[in-house]
Amino acid sequence: MSLDISFIGILIGSIMASSVPLILAASGELITERSGVLNLGVEGMMIIGAISGFALMVITDNLFIAIVGSMLSGVIISLIFGFLTQSLLTNHVATGLALTIFGIGLSAMLGKNFVGIPGKEFPILFSSLKESIPFFGPILFGHSIVLYFAFALPFLTNYFLKKTKLGLVVRAVGDSPVSASNQGINVILVRYCCILYGGAMCGLAGAYLSLIYTPQWIENMTAGRGWIALALVVFATWSPIKVLIGALIFGGITILQLHMQAIGFRIPVQFLSALPYLMTIIVLVVISRDSRKIKLNTPTSLGRIFYKEK
Amino acid sequence: MATDLRISNISKIYPGCVANDNVSLQFKSGKIYALLGENGAGKSTLVKILSGVISPDNGEVFLNEKNLKLNSPLDAKKNKIGMVFQHFNLFETLSVFENLSIDATEDNKSLRLRINEILKKYNFSIDLDVPVLNLSAGQKQKVEIIRCLLRSPKVLIMDEPTSVLTEQETEELFISLKKFCDEGILIIYITHKLKEVLSLCDEVAVMRKGKVVSVSQTQNEKVETLANKMVGQKLAKIKKKINISKNKDEIFKVKHLNFYSDDPFETNLVNLNFSVKKGECLGIAGISGNGQNELFQILSGEIITPDTSIIFRNKEIAKLNPKQRREYLMAFSPEDRISQAAVPELKIYENVALNNFKSSNFFEKGLVNERKIKEHSKKILSDFSVNTDNVELKSQFLSGGNLQKLILGRELITAPELLICYNPTWGLDVGAINYIHETLIKINDQEKSTILISTDTEELLKLSDRIAVIYKGKLSKIMPSEEVTPEKLGVLMGGGSID
Repeated sequence: MSLDISFIGILIGSIMASSVPLILAASGELITERSGVLNLGVEGMMIIGAISGFALMVITDNLFIAIVGSMLSGVIISLIFGFLTQSLLTNHVATGLALTIFGIGLSAMLGKNFVGIPGKEFPILFSSLKESIPFFGPILFGHSIVLYFAFALPFLTNYFLKKTKLGLVVRAVGDSPVSASNQGINVILVRYCCILYGGAMCGLAGAYLSLIYTPQWIENMTAGRGWIALALVVFATWSPIKVLIGALIFGGITILQLHMQAIGFRIPVQFLSALPYLMTIIVLVVISRDSRKIKLNTPTSLGRIFYKEK
Repeated sequence: MATDLRISNISKIYPGCVANDNVSLQFKSGKIYALLGENGAGKSTLVKILSGVISPDNGEVFLNEKNLKLNSPLDAKKNKIGMVFQHFNLFETLSVFENLSIDATEDNKSLRLRINEILKKYNFSIDLDVPVLNLSAGQKQKVEIIRCLLRSPKVLIMDEPTSVLTEQETEELFISLKKFCDEGILIIYITHKLKEVLSLCDEVAVMRKGKVVSVSQTQNEKVETLANKMVGQKLAKIKKKINISKNKDEIFKVKHLNFYSDDPFETNLVNLNFSVKKGECLGIAGISGNGQNELFQILSGEIITPDTSIIFRNKEIAKLNPKQRREYLMAFSPEDRISQAAVPELKIYENVALNNFKSSNFFEKGLVNERKIKEHSKKILSDFSVNTDNVELKSQFLSGGNLQKLILGRELITAPELLICYNPTWGLDVGAINYIHETLIKINDQEKSTILISTDTEELLKLSDRIAVIYKGKLSKIMPSEEVTPEKLGVLMGGGSID
């Protein structure tokens, strides 16, 4: 295997592709957490998105319906979480964990008949440019539309939170729901919206896996990516741009260590497999050391139940 | 245009408590009205109803003879009723400007212009682009006031606004409030501080147990008459005789106390040195957030700082944890009764057992000696006149005053040589405050010492033998309390210097 320049370009392209589900799920969860809601059901919502996307694709043979349907299924399952935590005031952590367990079980049951069915090819954009430009071609072109969306999302999220009125409202609710409520903001409604948005992004992240990244349905195919996304949000100290950096590092080292294993480096395989987790945490901890910034970015009311006085 | 606010037959009943019982009041613009009452008298419930946070079971509110339906804070806003809450309703991690823009309807540019106009008009100086958590309490309050002014309110309600302010800040606030009043804003001022009522307000309504017991002109009232109306009985005056014993032993001595923290919510402490004599009360004044929390935690052993020397009864205790310090006969009463001093979900006797000693035999071979703890708890309840004799009661059902009595009792029943307390009467009503003050004076009379960290200047002047002021983590020189006046304390608490 030669490490020429075009190979590195292809490598970077594949790293980008592998980070997409993490970016999508983490960006969605980031908005949810910024409103003060801790939803540990990311993994469950992703896997539901994966199976419903794949099933809809098989049934309707329409990728657009499949993608939209996966997001809708994420919304529906997060609605359960929203209803329990916001309307019935249940504990966020327990409810989120239950959601994940429920999602994994439900997806396995729904997916029984879809195991072994081959997926459909997902259209890629600018495929001619990919071949014709060395190095930059495979990095910039020849990806699905979902990937372009995923890479724009952290910047959009950042803009939303910092520059728009609605973003300000979300941050205010996460900072102090009681004050927000006394200012006439409908805290429950804002939190519901953030939860549902998070659900939609997790659903899309799941569909990316089953429709684009590895186009097929395998039971438990999210394989812990939801948990990684959750951890990314925390280690990136609720900053969307750092989530992007973290996801790329995680994706990058995952791919690189696979190549290292293939080449036959004399490093124990277990250590190589652990490397992505280790490096992501180390890098994110190092770039987010400013305790002042952490304080300002951390949603103060995260995970706390909000009860409106009557 | 003149404003006329009328409250008619408002009632609000919570399970086991009538918060407002048929309250009727009338206010007219051009005057400042005081709503006076002890904690639990129903003042806060009434203002929450006026600001739409909660809705009454019965009764109506009229603004200029228009019947208002106040179902949410938005309704109050729409009807130009502004409210500054006792516990600020600000978003600590957002900037001042973001806090003000969150419910504005105009664009940021014109909003900024309007805010700057207000800042100029009332001589406020606040940086609009720093996070609110960097502001002092006085500045935070100004942000709240600006938020109300931006909506050109007809009515401005201030809920215990001076509880976190210095003397100077209080004066500034009063000047602003008088200005607002001259401009035709109707001001309702809620407080339990009698002197403020007399110096600021034109008319005063006194509430007790959910009812309005009197409405009168302040010029016809005195501190004593108002206090008696508020409490419903005559209060005994307490006065401490100052301990001027210069040659008594130093029982407690702190040297080189330094504390550095990365946390922007914490204050660094810079080289504090002080000592306490036998039978003496050392008062430490200051506005909250100037390092009192950190100081208390270091003195109690919750935080261990390197290179600090703390000598207590001739032993070095700087490296000991709170439990070990208690064994040496120190006792602590933290500011936050609910989350630091007691566990509200636990029963009274269980809370008592939290403070156990080797000698108290509360636990035998890892098992709880319930009988022993209960006996001990009963003694505390009766010795410190806590308003229950049921040791099985969950602590959260005790009122603030009774919980504080229980905590002090728990700490004092072991006859400690030194009691360190932080805002022991915070949020309590006059009756309970009197009792706590008497208890603290009694400790000194028995030749035991106290360190009183407090944000209440009146309390400090009443109880301390010597007083120092903490400002931004630094301690002023320690002064004998007969040389200290409220004005001097106010200057030092605001960062100024005297002499």
